[in-house]
Amino acid sequence: MKVASLKEFEVLRADAKAAQEKIRKKILVCCGTGCLAAGSGKVAAALRAELVRKGLDVDVGLKMNETGCRGLCELGPLVTFEPSGIFYKGVKASDVAEIVEKTIEGDEVIQRLLYRDKASKQRVETYEEIPFYKSQTRWALRNVGLMAPKDITEYIGRGGFAALAKVLSTMTPEEVLAEVETAKLRGRGGGGFDAGRKWRSCVNAKGDERYLVCNGDEGDPGAFMDRTIMEGDPYGVIEGMVIAAYAIGATAGFIYVRQEYPLAVQHLNTAIEKMRDLGLLGKKILGTEFCFDIKIARGGGAFVCGESSALMRSIEGKVGEPRAKYIHGTEKGLYDKPTVLGNVETFINVPLILEKGGAWFASTGTERSKGTKAFSLVGKVQNTGLVEVPMGTSLREIIFDIGGGVPKGRTFKAVQTGGPSGGCLPASHLDTRVDFDTLTEAGSMMGSGGMVVMDDRTCMVDVARYFTKFLVNESCGKCVPCREGLQQMLRLLTEICEGAGTLRHLEQIENLAHVLKMGSLCALGKSAANPVTSTLRYFRDEYLEHIEEKKCSAGVCRALCRYEIDEEKCTGCTLCTSVCPTACITGEKKTPHEIDQEACIRCGSCFDVCGFNAIRIL
Amino acid sequence: MTTTPDSALILVKYPKEEASIIEILHDIQLAHRHIPKDALSAIAAHTDVPLSRVYGVATFYGAFSFEPKGETVVKCCMGTACHVRGAGRNLEDIEARLGIKSGQTTADGKFSLESVNCVGACGIAPVVTVNSKVLPKFKMTDFDKILGEGEK
Amino acid sequence: MKILINGRAVTAFKGETVLTAARRAGVEIPTLCHHEAVEDSGACRMCMVEIREAGWDEDRTKLVTACLFPVEEGLSVQTDSPEVRRTRKEILELLLARSPEAEAVRVLAAKYGVESSPYPDREDAELPNCILCGICTRVCQALVTGAITMSERGPNKIVGPPFGEAADACIGCMACASSCPTNAIPVEDTGTTRTIWGRTFDLVPCAICGAPTGTREQIDWLAKKTGRAAADFEICVACKTKATGEVWHRISW
Repeated sequence: MKVASLKEFEVLRADAKAAQEKIRKKILVCCGTGCLAAGSGKVAAALRAELVRKGLDVDVGLKMNETGCRGLCELGPLVTFEPSGIFYKGVKASDVAEIVEKTIEGDEVIQRLLYRDKASKQRVETYEEIPFYKSQTRWALRNVGLMAPKDITEYIGRGGFAALAKVLSTMTPEEVLAEVETAKLRGRGGGGFDAGRKWRSCVNAKGDERYLVCNGDEGDPGAFMDRTIMEGDPYGVIEGMVIAAYAIGATAGFIYVRQEYPLAVQHLNTAIEKMRDLGLLGKKILGTEFCFDIKIARGGGAFVCGESSALMRSIEGKVGEPRAKYIHGTEKGLYDKPTVLGNVETFINVPLILEKGGAWFASTGTERSKGTKAFSLVGKVQNTGLVEVPMGTSLREIIFDIGGGVPKGRTFKAVQTGGPSGGCLPASHLDTRVDFDTLTEAGSMMGSGGMVVMDDRTCMVDVARYFTKFLVNESCGKCVPCREGLQQMLRLLTEICEGAGTLRHLEQIENLAHVLKMGSLCALGKSAANPVTSTLRYFRDEYLEHIEEKKCSAGVCRALCRYEIDEEKCTGCTLCTSVCPTACITGEKKTPHEIDQEACIRCGSCFDVCGFNAIRIL
Repeated sequence: MTTTPDSALILVKYPKEEASIIEILHDIQLAHRHIPKDALSAIAAHTDVPLSRVYGVATFYGAFSFEPKGETVVKCCMGTACHVRGAGRNLEDIEARLGIKSGQTTADGKFSLESVNCVGACGIAPVVTVNSKVLPKFKMTDFDKILGEGEK
Repeated sequence: MKILINGRAVTAFKGETVLTAARRAGVEIPTLCHHEAVEDSGACRMCMVEIREAGWDEDRTKLVTACLFPVEEGLSVQTDSPEVRRTRKEILELLLARSPEAEAVRVLAAKYGVESSPYPDREDAELPNCILCGICTRVCQALVTGAITMSERGPNKIVGPPFGEAADACIGCMACASSCPTNAIPVEDTGTTRTIWGRTFDLVPCAICGAPTGTREQIDWLAKKTGRAAADFEICVACKTKATGEVWHRISW
């Protein structure tokens, strides 16, 4: 049933809102990838069955939603209640009967399912009290984890498409542009380019056809913000795109989704279909003269296709080789037409900006970076998951207050941001107030939002080698510096990690970093040396230790370390024996054990489980 | 140049233009667990693009393979979060236990092993996927879960 | 318009590249992947120059490839600055390691002081002299039948027909081999046959003197493309020149 006019839409909205208001209790079962993997699908199924069994499924005041990612992946499966905010972690299907009886029918809280604060050791009832959530400002993630992703009525009832209706009924494209310019929204995909400026240059470009492209390629390893947004709030992304299309005069749009995200493709396709059915996409949107439609394009599995010109070639059915950007995509982009390409997180912010105003958006953040940023906080951190904070929040706050710090008693060593184009920052930089420019000035970059925490068991030379290896395989191979230079870089780093490094290796690495930065055709190549240069800048001593002492103190580079059991500390608990993959640890129970150095593969499993600090890395 | 009935059904869904190539390849890969050689000629004819360019596209992108995958595809995520949480060790262990290296398929066609780019489930690193099932916080002691999934 | 190249004012026309304007003004800029017959790709990076756009600060410059950068009012170009020379040198060091026997690379490398590469030579390469400039594939795709392409990506990128097998689309015209700057494509001409990219073609003898002209497939393709009779192409260049009194250029061997 197409909504034929803005007036009709208002009626629809009022109805949807009223339906939402009838709900007295919402049960939100997180069905993001992390929780699903931990079994939340079974929890959701059990919960539905139990509600039916008790005849509660017909109660309109009770709504169960299988939602997108709730963020705190470490503790899934997660079940949350609204409006009470009660937050259950580690929920199993076997808990469901009790939950229905106590928390749904009754108003009781099940203690063992509550989050326990590590510092105070106290149980915490609501998610708002959990440090992980307390310090967050969820704008881009405003709907994720709270609604059923494909439910268009719920989206409308929550205020969805209000911004679009406002834009189409009261604003000209120029006014929309001006609002986005006032917001000073910078691209959230990594480039940080001013979105308003990009849209305006597309409007100014010569041409009769314009395209809008949403970059959902999210290739940075360690980043899953865009996945979460596409899966958990597909309507939000599309609403942002429709508004942008109106502003720049585009009639056709694409969402490019990497092939590793089939659920995102599914949710977006459903959202597109439902929006078409309602008249929110296609011809004469909401009864106005504005026409715009969207197609999904699946990525083929190439990191380089996150680069805008390569992405466009991929939509065109070609190999993903970037072009020189001397002529911008806003002038000659997709099919050589003026094109605006933006990241998922950029578009999800657009409805908010149009609803509340650009000035409101710009009142949060720092001088040069407005609004918030979603980060995937992962690696050696207690609370791994998705967090969103205002620009200007310090790394320390994100990693320690929200993230709960480094687990297992280990020490913080570095935080890696910006994916393979970014760098590693050490403890001395923990007070850096995160924004596009501060991170770049420090030698890293914001990137798309991947934030990987590393501890003293991470070898920074190995990290540089890891990223270089990744880039060698992902290079499109067109230009010489990237294709040839990265291979040489990898060889040098590998030799260093295997004990064959010399100071000349470092000299050659610096030359390669130069030609990569100055000579490469695209941003992949130009930033490819960043992991190496940033680790050389802050962790040069580790490189020198590998080269001059042939030693890896982190215990990672196998040729450069040895694991030994300290007889005096070892209690013979046999825990190490049980985890050793090569069975190279011998010893009787309650007597000191010994590692057979010949058979040891330096995996470090024994070191990681020993509760007596009895294993040394030499 | 032969076109299997499945491939013909796939082709007919897509416009006869270059832009359809990658979408067609995805559908064929899903249907056949690989890209049969003669499918490329069919795609070239359908999209009116030289065979060499279709081949260039099929070999550029990591999603497509000419070798058939095993019934159970085990993917070890090598993303950064997984890397720092021990993905490398997991991969070695899985290789040893399946008896194949990453990129290979067991002789009986039952298992393929791949080391893949970040699958975007970093909150539960390290991640191993077995067909569509995601195994969170994978440890070497979880190997039997792989076999279990394979038997399904 | 006028742009500055190495401090000298030079005429340039809207829509052309810095490379075109520079060469017309007699300024030398080295290239490897540039070929007049096809579009530029900017792959080899040898033609990098240091530019300053109108309105930029004194000390702000950028390295760009001259073959693709469009001329604009107020542009200032340095074709041989220290930064340019260093970058070109580093690129040649990498190319020399990839293809140590490629003559064109060696000659250019020597000009930048690189006698041998600081990196180890590539071994076991299928096409040792191929520097992946892409001229051959661009020529074949744009001007002939599109029989060869670049396949794979990154370190595995390679030029050739699909699956490395003899291609139906190949007409044995050798446009690829003759436009290759490093003679990387092996061709075997016996006088009566030609073997290239895994396929052996028969060479059609000149109707007048019997010297080899082109392959049957090449002649038929030219006939179809031009609408002329195949017989028009079964005459060698020498005989054609004698017969018509006009100068005929070889399209290929």
